[in-house]
Amino acid sequence: MSAAPSSPAEVVLRCEGLGKVYRSGFFRIPYVGLEDLSLDVRRGEIFGFIGPNGAGKTTTIKCLMGLQAATSGRAELLGKDHRDPESKRGVGFLPERPYFYEHLTAREFLHFYGSLFGLPKAVRAARIDELLARVQLERFADVPLRAYSKGMLQRAGVAQALINDPELLVLDEPMSGLDPMGRLLIRDLIFEERRRGRTVFFSSHILADVELICDRVAILVGGRLRGLGTVRELVGDRVKHVDIATRLPSAADAALPGEVIRRDGDAVILRVGPDDADRAIDTLRAAGASILSVTPAREHLESVLLDEVQRAAPINQKHLGVLA
Amino acid sequence: MQLWAIAANTYRENIRDRVLYSIVFFAVLVLCASLVMEEITIGDQDKVVRSVALGAIRAFGSVMSIFLGIGLVYKEIEKKTVYTIVSKPIARWVFIVGKYLGLMGVIVTMIALMAGLYILLMLTQQGPPALSVYASWWMLTVELGLLTAWAILFSSYSAPITAASFSIAVFVIGHLADDIWRFGLQAESEQIRQFAGILYWFLPNLSVFNVHDLAVHHLPIPVEQLIGATGYGLGYTIVVLTLAVWVFSGRDFK
Repeated sequence: MSAAPSSPAEVVLRCEGLGKVYRSGFFRIPYVGLEDLSLDVRRGEIFGFIGPNGAGKTTTIKCLMGLQAATSGRAELLGKDHRDPESKRGVGFLPERPYFYEHLTAREFLHFYGSLFGLPKAVRAARIDELLARVQLERFADVPLRAYSKGMLQRAGVAQALINDPELLVLDEPMSGLDPMGRLLIRDLIFEERRRGRTVFFSSHILADVELICDRVAILVGGRLRGLGTVRELVGDRVKHVDIATRLPSAADAALPGEVIRRDGDAVILRVGPDDADRAIDTLRAAGASILSVTPAREHLESVLLDEVQRAAPINQKHLGVLA
Repeated sequence: MQLWAIAANTYRENIRDRVLYSIVFFAVLVLCASLVMEEITIGDQDKVVRSVALGAIRAFGSVMSIFLGIGLVYKEIEKKTVYTIVSKPIARWVFIVGKYLGLMGVIVTMIALMAGLYILLMLTQQGPPALSVYASWWMLTVELGLLTAWAILFSSYSAPITAASFSIAVFVIGHLADDIWRFGLQAESEQIRQFAGILYWFLPNLSVFNVHDLAVHHLPIPVEQLIGATGYGLGYTIVVLTLAVWVFSGRDFK
């Protein structure tokens, strides 16, 4: 499956038939990690990359960032071949479960990464103060990273990804292992980057976050692209079921027009199919019940992803991971 | 600037490493203990003290070079710190050469520290060291530069234990190079002669840097030998570092 064609000016990240075959063991047995991935990420959008473990998300990101060599296809970052180190000049990258130099303080650490981009010392110093404030680490700026908690390290990692004020931010599982406050902070940072006209490409297992913040989403299963579009395009408007909260007169008990999913005295929540809601409400009213609320439940990305995983299962068993 | 940044970070990382201080502590201990040799030695006591002290600087320099070198690249890959470096706009050769220069900075600092202590001990005991002693430290630095390049090459594709074994093998064979050549010439078997020849020409001849006896006896070291050994060492180092860059450039980080 390929992305809808975009004009070249808009595209900041492009994959064309990108593939990666690993070889392992003495006999160099091939294993397909990524197959024929084609997609475009447009300037200014937040792009989510989802899939079960082993789907090829991290492989894709590693190929794009030059950590692994793709075995087929091509990719561009900001209009340049991704194998050219210069293509990374406008890119910020946070790897999954980042590890950093523990002997450095956060300030030294950010100076180091700033100097890898050739930023002059004065520019680095100003930018570092701003970034430490944004990730709420100002108070710990001169503490060695070995004393940081996991959440603090993740925030320091985000700061290093932003040190060059990147046009394109690539984040691999940025919310992984963070508490709700940490996740909120990362979400806010992602939104802020988009407000500044930047593009964010990130992978995540936390589908609620993806649904909430992404403009477009790609679904990867078994190394293949299985879906691409806005959350609405992927999930659709379809209502899965309707939950009706009602208060029943005791006499109406015998004729409930749906599945009881909760009961608390005379208050009951009934679950009915999307086409049965009107009829159920009429039935309840006729029986003297009062309707407290009617809640339609829509499909979520999670169910779309699960469907794709099940659909892909017979095609390529060896790629299937366990959903986190 | 990028090269300098990686070198400076490597230097800082190693200087802040406690393992280095353990090595330096023992080096200082042995240097000071060499004075005791004066009390228990018969014959030319000054030369024995100089021999033990200069030998200690050589030995601890080599230990530092091998044991810091073998983890240099491997540690970055194992700890995944390399992920955030390789994904920046830097060529992979910059990473390898930067790491090398940073570690050489540490080694030079440590040799200077031990040399400073040696000069101090000599000034209090025997008078100022001869020029040949300083020349021997220069030769040691060039030798350790070559040894470190080998350690980095091994570190680019193998785990520290394997890299340590290979590096120690290079060190030992390198110091026996002349003996291996002579042994090859005397061997009756053609295969053994060929094998000795391959070892001699492929592995470095570290004995060209060994001017220990001349330094201990305060005898002059010929300038041609200094220039020749320096050229050989630097040339060989560039070749080994180029190999390390080639190996590292082809690596996938999983």
